Amino acid sequence: MTIDNLKSPDLAAPGLPPTAGAAPDTVSRPAPGTSDLLSLDDLHISVHHGAATAIRGVSLGIRRGEIVGLVGESGSGKTLTCRAALGVLPAGCTIDHGSMTFAGHDLTTLSRRGWEEVHGSHMGAVFQDPASYLNPTITVGHQLAEVLRVKLGLSRRAAHQRSVELLSAVGLHQPEHVFHQIPAELSGGMLQRVMIAIAISCDPELLVADEATTALDVTIQAEIIDLLRRLRDERGLAVLFVSHDLAVVAELCDRVVVFYAGEVVESGPAAEIIERPRHPYTRALLEVASVGDFRRRELRVIAGQPPPVGADITGCRFAGRCPVAADACRTGPIAPVTVGDQHEVRCVRAQEAWSTGELAAR
Amino acid sequence: MSGNPPRKVTGRSFLRLPSARVAIVVLLGIAVLTVFGSTLAPQNPLTINANALFQGPSAHHWLGTDYLGRDVLSRLMAGTRLSVLTALEAVGIGLILGVGPGIATVFLGRWFDFAANRLTDALMTLPYVFFAVAVTAALGNGLVQAMVPVGILLAPFFFRITRAATLEHSRAQYVEAAELMGASKLHVVRVHVLRKVLPTIAVTTASMTAAALLAVSFLTFLGIGVQPPAPTWGGVLSSDLDYLNQAPWAPFIPAALIAITIGALNALADAFRDRRGAGALAAQPDPIIATHSTLEPADDDRQSQVA
Amino acid sequence: MTVIGLPHTASRANAAGALPPRRRRSRIVVARLGAGLAVLVPIVLLSSFIAYSLGALSNSDPAATILGQDAATPAAVARLNASLGLNHPLIVQYWNWLTQAVQGNLGRSYFTQIPVAQSIAQRLPVDLSIAVLAVILAVIIGGGAGTIAAVRRGGWFDRTVTAVCSAASTLPAFVVGIILVVLFAVTVHWLPANGYVGPSTSIPQWLEHIILPSLALSLAVSADIARQLRTSLVEVLEQNYIVGARVRGLPYRRILFRHALRNASGPALTILGNDFPLMLAGAVAAEAVFSLPGLGQLLLESAQTRDIPVVQGLLLVVSCFVIVVNLIVNTTLNWLYRTDDGIGA
Repeated sequence: MTIDNLKSPDLAAPGLPPTAGAAPDTVSRPAPGTSDLLSLDDLHISVHHGAATAIRGVSLGIRRGEIVGLVGESGSGKTLTCRAALGVLPAGCTIDHGSMTFAGHDLTTLSRRGWEEVHGSHMGAVFQDPASYLNPTITVGHQLAEVLRVKLGLSRRAAHQRSVELLSAVGLHQPEHVFHQIPAELSGGMLQRVMIAIAISCDPELLVADEATTALDVTIQAEIIDLLRRLRDERGLAVLFVSHDLAVVAELCDRVVVFYAGEVVESGPAAEIIERPRHPYTRALLEVASVGDFRRRELRVIAGQPPPVGADITGCRFAGRCPVAADACRTGPIAPVTVGDQHEVRCVRAQEAWSTGELAAR
Repeated sequence: MSGNPPRKVTGRSFLRLPSARVAIVVLLGIAVLTVFGSTLAPQNPLTINANALFQGPSAHHWLGTDYLGRDVLSRLMAGTRLSVLTALEAVGIGLILGVGPGIATVFLGRWFDFAANRLTDALMTLPYVFFAVAVTAALGNGLVQAMVPVGILLAPFFFRITRAATLEHSRAQYVEAAELMGASKLHVVRVHVLRKVLPTIAVTTASMTAAALLAVSFLTFLGIGVQPPAPTWGGVLSSDLDYLNQAPWAPFIPAALIAITIGALNALADAFRDRRGAGALAAQPDPIIATHSTLEPADDDRQSQVA
Repeated sequence: MTVIGLPHTASRANAAGALPPRRRRSRIVVARLGAGLAVLVPIVLLSSFIAYSLGALSNSDPAATILGQDAATPAAVARLNASLGLNHPLIVQYWNWLTQAVQGNLGRSYFTQIPVAQSIAQRLPVDLSIAVLAVILAVIIGGGAGTIAAVRRGGWFDRTVTAVCSAASTLPAFVVGIILVVLFAVTVHWLPANGYVGPSTSIPQWLEHIILPSLALSLAVSADIARQLRTSLVEVLEQNYIVGARVRGLPYRRILFRHALRNASGPALTILGNDFPLMLAGAVAAEAVFSLPGLGQLLLESAQTRDIPVVQGLLLVVSCFVIVVNLIVNTTLNWLYRTDDGIGA
């Protein structure tokens, strides 16, 4: 039973050679047509051994082959959410409430063995600082080959060969040479490609990219984004792309989920959110990022600070900084409202169409 | 380390550590025994009493009696002087031979430093026991002469640590400034460097005294320098070993005494060391979310931590 | 599953996962080795000279001692002195002795006339057995305790180990040895309290006799290793690349051994390397407590009887041995942990 057999025919990978061998998996591949690959439902996560609730009621879903962007400021909870989905929450963090499922299997109660299977074979991950996520004393090629040998059972020779192929497929020139380099000898862009190669080496269905392009030069950024898109097109790879860079998200993602202060304030198709944002915070973010508007000269900021992590606030957590906040915003918890196809907003004023003038007045 | 500026350190601040306070008390006790041990002992350490062999602790003999019926407590108290004084002798030799060159080597050029370092490397590996015993072969069975090679072999440690401390402090800008203003190297050393290096030397002295005491205990255990029936800590331990079958608990007593004293010295050394670094080690405020592994808000900080 | 190793294609990373050899790093290692060797000769000369002159310093008159009080007539003494070569100046005597020593002749005991080299060779295996076994025990006990303490940081095991390590550092080896004897030999009679049986006679008995001394010797080093390893490992386990290895789906044990321990063991190995020469001194301690017929006992006996050639020979052999072993260990460590900016550890 090879991995290839389970892929839907339209998602076969012409660009990358098929993986050889197979690891026995207890998490079976989803049949084509299941809606959500990864689904987080009403997740509540507390940090610092229960001292503060950092994530409140986060729900989101990713489908096969979909690229979903998580955006928000630092501290908004997007990275913590990813970490939870990956099962690598830092010490002191616990999932208090809610569920996570991957292809129908519950992740919240997964054992360590279960996670070892999911990791690599079903979910891959790349992070912001690739150099620190690789063992500094071992060559990158060896670290890639290690995954192939351990998870796919390849022989040393086969693993070496496949590693070189993978390195080439992610766009590295002279892959044979790169194979023998240690992380310190490679640039950030090259290392990120290596990380991606490792992450997809066992052909996972989902790639979690946590600020994967943030630390890279703009040109390299563009190449990596291109690579991710290519992987989605050729392999049907779903990507959970976390970033605080709206421009990148706008370009790459199919859907966008906007985080603020530990909550999802808006989620929907990327095109719609970029053009017709409904939540004041999203609008403000777009203004600040001046997405698409290169000629603007003034620096726009969002006045104020996000609330401290875990702060107990009645009502909307953005109300303190919101230009159109009303009393209704502060009375009680705000439920998400559907405003379009797959487009949800957590705002009582989402249905209204305020003019740009109102926002500019603040 | 960012965060709190170093607290102003005073001579009293290291007494805050409970371990330091206990250590001081213990060492004061030992010091008193060193000077007045024989007189303070409740009984004559040499009196043999054939009727009271191998007794356990009792009201009359707080720590029991040994194989000749002698009071163990008194023997240990009386034996403190020789053990401690010879240990101090060795430390003194080590200090004198090590600290001077340790400071000087920083100013005397690369070749001297290189040679001194290699010499130190070699000396540090030689086992003191062999040399101490060899000396007694030549110069007679006395603890005083036996501790001389111990002292010589302690010198490399003093050298190395003093050198490191001097290096650390001689590169400060005020030293450079002083030299620019025409001060001679000697003056610089005397006035600036020495003052800063002294705490480190104090730490080392405490540790080395512990080591020397261990050496003394061991050598007397082996029979060096013991003129029976005069008591020494190691000697008591050694005789206890001969009569284990009759009194298996006995060796624990001198062993505990040795261990406690050495432990007190090490605790003192640690307290000295911590006190100097107290400011830097002051607790940082705990972030709400541990910022290891790219958890926000470390996004920008991450870049500066790229390996 | 797969054997420890690396792609067999021309990867230049060695078994320790160290950096690919760069000329500059190797050069530093070689330079240190050369320096060590260069110092070796003068040090050995110096210590052997001191050893030799100790004999001359002693007030004892070997001839008189050998002949005994009655037979020590001036003429007999003079004759014996001549035959022993004791009427030459010190330097000449020293040189003769040294040149002979290099050829393996360390003279004869004044009293037993047994060649010194022979006595030493006979007793060396005792100390070596204990020292080697002690090193092995230290690695197992110290390494194991340190690893478990780090992995279960904050747990009861960790706290116990930390406390024990602090205490163990203050206990000298001979004290530990005594405690062990009391516990295992006198109270419960599981193991012999003293004596030695060579491996050629009977291996099980040999092990029985050396296990307690080796254990005594290893505990202090184990404590140091455990403490250092715990600290290093805790630090390594918090690194991002451990998370990276986890999200790749590598099994936990593999991450622990191939990634975490491999990177964390540097400082601990350095401690082991530095402590290894100290093992010889510790072996003397063990000999004293357990009445083993080793070099230490030889030293004590000949010191008591003023058997100078034996003492001199012993000092020479021990000094050389220790310095050479130290050099080898340091060079190995330097080579394993060489980094771009000098020798790291």
